[in-house]
Amino acid sequence: MKLLLSLMFVLWANYGFAHEMTPAYPKFVTSYIDDVSSTKMKLFNRREDVSYYEVEVFNNDWEPVPFASTNRIFKLGYQKSTSFEVYIQTKDLKYAVYICTVSKNFKQEKKVTIVASRICSKID
Amino acid sequence: MLKKLAVISSLILTTPAFAVNSPINGQVQAKCSIWTETQGVYGNPLPNKLDTLPASGGTKASIRVDIAQANFYKARFTHPITFSSSPTLNDTVAWTGSTVLGQVSVSGMSVYEAAKVISPSNVTTFDMTLAGSTWFTVSSTALYGYNKSFPAGSYVAQIVAECIAK
Repeated sequence: MKLLLSLMFVLWANYGFAHEMTPAYPKFVTSYIDDVSSTKMKLFNRREDVSYYEVEVFNNDWEPVPFASTNRIFKLGYQKSTSFEVYIQTKDLKYAVYICTVSKNFKQEKKVTIVASRICSKID
Repeated sequence: MLKKLAVISSLILTTPAFAVNSPINGQVQAKCSIWTETQGVYGNPLPNKLDTLPASGGTKASIRVDIAQANFYKARFTHPITFSSSPTLNDTVAWTGSTVLGQVSVSGMSVYEAAKVISPSNVTTFDMTLAGSTWFTVSSTALYGYNKSFPAGSYVAQIVAECIAK
């Protein structure tokens, strides 16, 4: 019985596809470029159905804030993680509130609802 | 000769033992994971209706949100109000949908349903005040025109599941 419960837990725990990003409260530091601040984020893709993610930066009203990143849209394989840096001009930093990554879904040929996942960290 | 060699090699191989503390370090970060457990599927119970309800032959989407530390995130779900891909539609589509709390890993999470905020009508926000796993069920219904049949073809609509640091 215990074995069955353990097996069920293991199967249950690994079922599904996840999208994770850390840290929840990134801190910006002065970068090597004048008047530009940067922070480092880490993304983990456990969604087998998703291979691409897009980086977004928003203000408090969910309007886009200008930023630069190594890649705005990048490919990330299943069970892989990557680190990426986000650069924001110091003058824009006071408006920036959220750094988000959103999954990019491929077009499907069925009667389905596809789930786009977005995780947003709040700038500390 | 062989004995000498064995002694020398044992001396070389024997390394002094140092007693040191070997701490195992770990860190739990405030982290949110969005798990897509079941993708929704539309049933087509009537010519003018696409519905994720099981009674209509559909499947509701099930999304799990794991929170590592309490009170750091809110979860927001947007059910569709447009198709992301469909055949050409010449009439309007009336959309309805909902996001409801499903299973919970901590009994205290059951209050999330009463405390949820719906604004605008297709966006539901839950305040994730406890750590653990929470399941959400998203349903969607599309009604086409006035008793018109949906044109044959594939229909895809997108649900957005978000985890936002507070």
